[in-house]
Amino acid sequence: MDPQAPELMARRRFLKLVTAIPVLGALVAVISPLLRFLKPNVEKFKIYAPTTGDTPKGEPTAVAALREVANPWDSKYFVFMQKYPQYTPEGFKAANVPGVVVRLPYPITLFDPATGQGPLSWAKEIGKTPTVTQSDIIIFSRICPHLGCIYNYVANYKEVTAGYGGYVPPPERQHALMACPCHLSIYDPADRQTPGRVVSGPAPRPPRTFLFEVRGDQIVVTDVEPGGIA
Amino acid sequence: MGEKILEWLRERRQKLDLFDETLVAHQDNPLYLMGPMLYYFWLVTVVTGVILMLWYVPTTTEAYSSIEHIQNDVGRLGFLLGRPLAVGGLIRGLHKYGADALITVIFLRIYRMYFLGEYKKPGELSWMLAFTGLILGMISGITGYLLIWNQRAFWAAKVVLTVPVYFDQLPLIGPLKFGSMIAFVFLGGPAVGQATITRFYALHFGISLVLLILVEVLFFRTRRKRINMSLSPVVVFLAMLLVISIVLPAESGRRADPTRTPLPILSDWYFLALYQYVKYTPPLWAGLGPGLLIGLGMLVPFLDRSRGRRPLERPFFTVVGALAVLYFLAFTALILFNIAVIERDPFIIMWITLVVLSLGFLWEVQYRRAQKRAVAAASPSSPARAPAHG
Repeated sequence: MDPQAPELMARRRFLKLVTAIPVLGALVAVISPLLRFLKPNVEKFKIYAPTTGDTPKGEPTAVAALREVANPWDSKYFVFMQKYPQYTPEGFKAANVPGVVVRLPYPITLFDPATGQGPLSWAKEIGKTPTVTQSDIIIFSRICPHLGCIYNYVANYKEVTAGYGGYVPPPERQHALMACPCHLSIYDPADRQTPGRVVSGPAPRPPRTFLFEVRGDQIVVTDVEPGGIA
Repeated sequence: MGEKILEWLRERRQKLDLFDETLVAHQDNPLYLMGPMLYYFWLVTVVTGVILMLWYVPTTTEAYSSIEHIQNDVGRLGFLLGRPLAVGGLIRGLHKYGADALITVIFLRIYRMYFLGEYKKPGELSWMLAFTGLILGMISGITGYLLIWNQRAFWAAKVVLTVPVYFDQLPLIGPLKFGSMIAFVFLGGPAVGQATITRFYALHFGISLVLLILVEVLFFRTRRKRINMSLSPVVVFLAMLLVISIVLPAESGRRADPTRTPLPILSDWYFLALYQYVKYTPPLWAGLGPGLLIGLGMLVPFLDRSRGRRPLERPFFTVVGALAVLYFLAFTALILFNIAVIERDPFIIMWITLVVLSLGFLWEVQYRRAQKRAVAAASPSSPARAPAHG
């Protein structure tokens, strides 16, 4: 029963630990580039920044003529082509982002240049400033912000009640609504504070929006809010 | 501590019963044929899968057409019931229905293990491995499903892979963007596309390949029988798969169209209940809920401290299990008939759950009291029964 024995064991364990640290470090150093291999369009040494370099790019597209959405609650569906970085020989995947142009009965503030707030405030993430700051035209991406289905613009709210999970809108929202068939999220395109506000269902946020300009009598879409899976 | 865990593992590993059901040994009862059936259907699926790989083209433009080609043209034998009957179609049917049978058998086996208390010592490890098998089977299912590149498959993949993105909202680990990373690794980019097909193809094959090697090592080391089942069920099951592949050929649906969501969006039958659940809950919980359920399911052997193995000897856990079966069936039915009232249903479901669970708990308390009383009554040294004058 040597009283020194446990001490010696502890020393051995300590030495093992000291050797293990550089070995583990080397392992991490070998494995981390493999992680990057799984998502190679990330900037160098930025393995924890998953969305950098994933920002898709789109071509400005004329989506509707002003006369097509002349009256309140007029709408028009369109498709915007978006290029997502991917591992194809071309280096991207062209995905179609469906959208809807809606004419609201009253103008709402889309972006406040003074405070940088508003539904289009995401534009600074992609380094742009919205040119249209107040308008009665608003353009939503039809990709549901919940789980990526494509939702519908429903001109008659009674159809929403009948076909999308029994939501009965309060009197001030009894107008055209947007509703997703997959998981029954319902959005109000004309909410004054948050256009596209979620009024029912599991969606966590309003639908994403498009940046647009009016050129002549054409509404031209330039960018779509990033995020989600297309 | 480490020694203890190793000892625990060693003890369970010796009694591991994954495929041969030797420990229960009721070979005359089909309920106990599910171990060998599991392995058998798995082999059928793997073999037919490899044959399908000979013709399948894993690209977004060609996948759907190549499946159609396999279904109708590869080794065509003629026409039956107005449909082309081809060897390729039969192989595909065997693959699809074999996989369905596999999942069904795993489900039934897990329920059997649950209701008969087989997860109790020394069955803990078998139970946890059965659960892992179910999860891997489901992942195989969803990765294989996308390969058809039809409407259902495309939207199922999109919905399922958007769910982990919401893990980014979690406190502490959320800001690391761990959730987006999971989605990204599976998708091969921020959109469902060519990279997704390639990755799903690799995973679909890889999961079975790796598991098959591991199981082969297990068989080699334990010298257990691979298919502990006589020849007649082997032939009968194959015949059943063949007949159903002829009568009800595997569907291809419509080619994937990223601009149109089909209504309702559905997936393989074993995901349907989950889809209904997703309608009711905020998306973060849609991801966490099933994860927690699986975690709880895995831990059942350690949560259930009751002594008996029979269902009526542990009322609370029997009630929980019955409720789980009921919800699985009810949610599946609800989504098939496309019934959901968002504002009403979750409250009803919550109340049913609460009431049933508390009733189960009361039953358990009452049962244990009765048990205690019975023990007290039976024991001769009990002071209440002791005669006053010996």
